[in-house]
Amino acid sequence: MNINRLSWINIIRNPFNSILSLLLMAFGIGIISLLILLNKSIEEKLYSNLNGIDMVIGAKGSPLQLILSSIYHIDNPTGNILLEEVNKITSNPMIELTIPLSLGDSYKGFRIVGTNHEYPKLYKVNLATGKFWDQAMEVVIGSNVVEACQLKIGSTFYSSHGFVEGGPIHNKYAFKVVGILDKSNTIIDQLILTNSESISKVHNHKDHSNHSHEIVEEECSVKNSVMITAMLVKFRSLVGLINFPRQVNETTNLQAVVPAFEINKLISLLGLGSQSINMIAFFIIVVSGLSIFISLYNSLKRRRYELALMRVHGATRFQLVRLVFQEGMIISILGLFVGILFSRIVLHIVSFFIVHNYKPYSIQLSLIKEELWMFPIVLFVGFTASLIPIIQAYRINIPKTLSNV
Amino acid sequence: MLQTKGLSFSYNSSYIFTFPDILLEQGEDLLILGDSGVGKTTLIQILSGLLSPKSGVIELNGTRFQDLSSKSLDQFRGSNIGIVFQKSHFVRNLNMLDNLLLSLYLSKKPQDKQRVIHLLQEIGMSDKLNSFPEELSDGEQQRAAIATALIKKPDLILADEPTASLDDNNCQKTITLLKEQVSSTNAKLIVITHDQRLKDQFNKSIVL
Repeated sequence: MNINRLSWINIIRNPFNSILSLLLMAFGIGIISLLILLNKSIEEKLYSNLNGIDMVIGAKGSPLQLILSSIYHIDNPTGNILLEEVNKITSNPMIELTIPLSLGDSYKGFRIVGTNHEYPKLYKVNLATGKFWDQAMEVVIGSNVVEACQLKIGSTFYSSHGFVEGGPIHNKYAFKVVGILDKSNTIIDQLILTNSESISKVHNHKDHSNHSHEIVEEECSVKNSVMITAMLVKFRSLVGLINFPRQVNETTNLQAVVPAFEINKLISLLGLGSQSINMIAFFIIVVSGLSIFISLYNSLKRRRYELALMRVHGATRFQLVRLVFQEGMIISILGLFVGILFSRIVLHIVSFFIVHNYKPYSIQLSLIKEELWMFPIVLFVGFTASLIPIIQAYRINIPKTLSNV
Repeated sequence: MLQTKGLSFSYNSSYIFTFPDILLEQGEDLLILGDSGVGKTTLIQILSGLLSPKSGVIELNGTRFQDLSSKSLDQFRGSNIGIVFQKSHFVRNLNMLDNLLLSLYLSKKPQDKQRVIHLLQEIGMSDKLNSFPEELSDGEQQRAAIATALIKKPDLILADEPTASLDDNNCQKTITLLKEQVSSTNAKLIVITHDQRLKDQFNKSIVL
């Protein structure tokens, strides 16, 4: 028997109060930890998919929409542009690399991207098996597509128009899988890659009465000129970033966007939302501190005689302080760990249900740096909650307590 | 040897308790009889070092209480003095075994589980080892309280009205138990009470 054991027994023999305080603490911590993890995972995903893309050229429209559709493959594209026109701009010595993207179709919710071989190279993704496409209608598929669609080398499929499952099927030309890519934890895992001609081929050979979609109409109105959806641009030096986009935006009817800027804007917007949830979580932690205080205070009121008795048996003031302090701290710290565990479990459950695009790639079970500041906060709350009970235990008047029963 | 000289105490300036001097050798027992309000509990608390007297000296086996700091007095009391209160109290979240072990731990004595079991056997409560205090009857609680005071083999045992709430049968049992335990550990025993039933059970007695 010792003070540590007595603290534990007091907590366990008082389960309702202890569990209430512990759950409140765990709940507050869990929400904060979950937000930190999600924010970090989203930020990581956003930045890691940039992979050196300095600028994106596309049709005029929302800059954020252009970035989301051409880099993250989330939103709809802003429209189509003439390759010829883009090439006029990009034949500039400042530009190191350009990658054209043609969007418009999907298969079972996975987007089909018409591009060149530089695109997977940009993300340093290699083939797991098979080969890259050499001609139209040949596709290379990302690792998540393989799992979800049960495709293998040699499989053929028809694309559907648009980006959601169930769009009209382009059943004239079938795509054929010729290669499968390694898992890279980038957006490439979610994509079906082919060359740009495949996309135009599928769209141009259509009886026009059925489809009134933008892409098709534009495709047909400008005969014999190649259309793309966006052009990813990499500069030789960052000097290009300063003037080039503005020049494009002011002198042409194209739009040039620097993704890093747009993402910073997006993240700061997300930050505002999570800040208000953070405030609520803090409030819950404070309430948990209050609950710890009330439960300690009440149990101490009932146990005054007990503490006096312990002093009579030879306990020092410090031992009583330790007893009370530990009871508050054990609950706080247990709440902290239960909360952190809770956030991991929730994240795992969430990621289990999200099969496609938004899957948080890196779920860390270990603590991350941003979570460490929760420790001093929890210790502080636990300490503050125990402070008044500690002082009571320290100043307990033994003869008075013993004779007042 | 326990020796007190010229002890007095006052809660306020209007009334001062003065107590007779006490001299008690090893293995002796003493009954202090007094009606309510004469300062019986105050005397017990002074003798146990919980209250400091207004004047006078207490010396137990050569240690004068006023020479000790409050912390060392706590420890001195823990290891040398066992107190049985009128109303028995325990640490309610611990069973009897753990209550007795806690008493040993706090007085810095080895936590000898066999001794605890043996003592509970002697007081006829070996089946209550795992019982919690609230599960015991009044008489059992009083015997168990004596056990928590005795388990650390104190040199001086102070009992404050140990029999006041007990019937004749339990009263006799309790006093017999106290005296047996005291003589087996060669300790000194002081019982303070207004209970006239105890008058003939002690060799030495003082009336307050």
